[in-house]
Amino acid sequence: MSLENDPFLNISYSIINPYIEDWQKSNRKVVGYYCTYIPEELLHAAELIPFRIRATGTKDTDLADIYMVRFTCSFVRATLDLALRGNYDFLDGFLVCNSCDHSRRMFELFNLKVFNRENFNKKVPQFYLALPHVITDEGFEWYKKEVEELKEELEKAYQIKEITNEMLLESINIYNENRKLLRNIHKLRVQEKPKLTGSEFLQINMANSSIPKDIANQELNRIISALKSRKAIDVSNKKRILLVGSIVDDIDFTQLIENSGAFIASDFLCFGTRNFNDDVQLVNYDDPLENITKRLYYRLSCPRMMDDHLRRLDFLKEEINRAKVDGVLLQRINNCDLHGCDNMLFTHELKELDIPVLNIDREFYQSDTTRLQTRIEAFIEMI
Amino acid sequence: MVNRVEMENRIIPYKMLYEAVASTQGLVDGILPAHGIPSLKLGLGHIKSVMEDFIVKAGEGLPIIGHHFSFPTEYLYCFECVPVCIEATSYFLAALLPNGSEPYYDLITNWGHPFHTCSSQKGTMGMTLDDLFKFEAIITPTAPCDNTYASYPFFKYHKNIPLITPDLPFLKAEKSYRYHAEEIKLGLEKLGKVIGQEPNYNKLKQVLEVENQVTNLQMEIFELKKATPCPVENMFNVMAAAAQIYLAGREEKLEFYRQMLEIAKFRYKKKEHHAGEEKIRSIWPYMIVFFDLAMGEWLDRHLGMSILFDIFNYNFADPINTKSDLETLFYGMAKKAMEAPMTKQSAEFYYPFIETCVQLAKDFSADCFIFTSHLGCKQFGSVPQLLREALRDEVGIPMLLIDLDVGDARFASEKIIREKIKLFAQTLL
Ligand code: SF4
Ligand code: SF4
Repeated sequence: MSLENDPFLNISYSIINPYIEDWQKSNRKVVGYYCTYIPEELLHAAELIPFRIRATGTKDTDLADIYMVRFTCSFVRATLDLALRGNYDFLDGFLVCNSCDHSRRMFELFNLKVFNRENFNKKVPQFYLALPHVITDEGFEWYKKEVEELKEELEKAYQIKEITNEMLLESINIYNENRKLLRNIHKLRVQEKPKLTGSEFLQINMANSSIPKDIANQELNRIISALKSRKAIDVSNKKRILLVGSIVDDIDFTQLIENSGAFIASDFLCFGTRNFNDDVQLVNYDDPLENITKRLYYRLSCPRMMDDHLRRLDFLKEEINRAKVDGVLLQRINNCDLHGCDNMLFTHELKELDIPVLNIDREFYQSDTTRLQTRIEAFIEMI
Repeated sequence: MVNRVEMENRIIPYKMLYEAVASTQGLVDGILPAHGIPSLKLGLGHIKSVMEDFIVKAGEGLPIIGHHFSFPTEYLYCFECVPVCIEATSYFLAALLPNGSEPYYDLITNWGHPFHTCSSQKGTMGMTLDDLFKFEAIITPTAPCDNTYASYPFFKYHKNIPLITPDLPFLKAEKSYRYHAEEIKLGLEKLGKVIGQEPNYNKLKQVLEVENQVTNLQMEIFELKKATPCPVENMFNVMAAAAQIYLAGREEKLEFYRQMLEIAKFRYKKKEHHAGEEKIRSIWPYMIVFFDLAMGEWLDRHLGMSILFDIFNYNFADPINTKSDLETLFYGMAKKAMEAPMTKQSAEFYYPFIETCVQLAKDFSADCFIFTSHLGCKQFGSVPQLLREALRDEVGIPMLLIDLDVGDARFASEKIIREKIKLFAQTLL
């Protein structure tokens, strides 16, 4: 069975897709967001599609370069570029949290330059969540209030009488199911004889974040059945790689790696394990929103959480063993200080495990393909 | 028995700084006429004596505590300690040593620190990697930028230095002050445990009272800058930034500002400009160039361009109420920390920053803005064009944008920067 041209995976190639168009035809709303730290279940319970903003396929950032200086993250610049060209006009809401300095500032730029464009007349409500940078009890209490306030803002903005606990519980179930399905697919990848490539896995994750979750779950079930009956991929002469770092939302990059003699057996990425590793634990049925926030806040972190590096390192170690990895590829998009510094520490720490590590920087769009390919090929050969 | 030299060697870069300050001061005293660049003469004199004191205290074995500039130095004076500001150290050395902090930037960059990450931390990280600093603990708020939460873990996870991180919300709201107040309190308590001292809040109050008085003096100087010509020389901006950190909470700081206020008043009355004639009034809404200490003076003398202020000289917090209970005290401290230059602009949206700039331009009759777009500061990476448009539309003045690293001449050299400003100035005259 081939996943080539699978309609679900194909969603990952474009921004807007037929599911979104259908959804909006019946006057339902879509809210764009940047970061895995936002409470998707809450949006889902409000009958909104949380759409993870990406810039798949963008090749330059001419328009966005007017507003963002050149040492900003080219991924974020590319998303702004698309938005300035109208590709995100379908959004009915925009939610930003202070994940990193680059994406956080999209709050103002979308407000002033995207939603305020000439001839763009839609009123797009904007929401902001202030997320602590450390994991503490006090920080949790802070974030819980932020999420509660967001709930009220959503109710007001979209004239929802109340987002009830029942609605939230239902969303939790759907999202937990979704994460379980992704973990099951991930299992089919990490195994010795994998059923799918790292690039296919990335596509599945991207598509999953761009359509209603109920439909995504059906699609993931379909993909799992298909994968189970699929012949294993021959990776016997490939090196198994753990891919770590800045956002990857384009298979150009993963294919470049996988065409260089590697197989991406596991990852530590936003469109990957970071997003589905932890479930919402329903400890308190009277306050499902608290449970949602608990998962968000205490889950496997990304480097924006400054006191949680060791837990991230432990995760890498576990994945190295679990996916029987031959080497670790650390990458950052240029100007991404967060992943750049986390990767710096990983480089030294992983040396102690005697596992080959390559630490690279890259632009979001593949302007430096040859340089990257040469470095990756040399690394694979060295392993 | 404390081995004094060994103890002093926990802050070798401070010894280097002391030497650099002393020799620069000697040079300044020897070359400049009696009235020449008073802010430089006075500032260096005070900083030298404080540095001397720090070295003596380190020799006596007091704990060396590193801190981010966004955690005001004076807050650490509830302890007997030697405070070391991570960012100011990198940049003060960049300003005073012939090769600046470059050897230390290179050291940590070669260790893997990304080239685009802020040089203000890079320098001290390099020094710490080389064991030139031996910190007992480091305290930093979780602000103002990605560089902070990205770089500081190096101290904790690689150098095993206890790192205390009072959280600072990226939201300007009443609840944020209360939250951050509690975080500062918990942070100081934690720090006290690490270094084996109880925080002495009475001593802290005294120090904060000194700072309150300093703020009043700063406000007076600020007001005088509305006059044409500006009665304060450009060098004052650099020395004020240094005083903010090194003289924090001390009599020397009060003295520095008293002296500068007198000079400013004198010039104001006489309508006198430090370097002869003021031709252009500029505002640098962000940082000045730290590796080129002489740039301000060059602008004064060669272009007649005043730098009315940079980011460290137009943000003033309310005085802290030291007469009430501890809760009020910490609330005031939190508010001050969140209103501090850079933290304020980072933790809120762009809108107030742009409004402030427009208002400053109007109130201080500015002819232009110069925005130093610092490689490290990603949180400001998408404001320059918005600001440029606002200044053009609402005030009708231009803005020059310069891409640089304010602490590393290798990104854009002083020659290139000066040339850009010179060409820009020609378009204004
Ligand atoms: S890659 Fe880094 S800088 Fe870019 S959006 Fe992600 S965290 Fe931010
Ligand atoms: S990047 Fe900017 S805000 Fe952050 S430490 Fe450097 S100078 Fe300060």
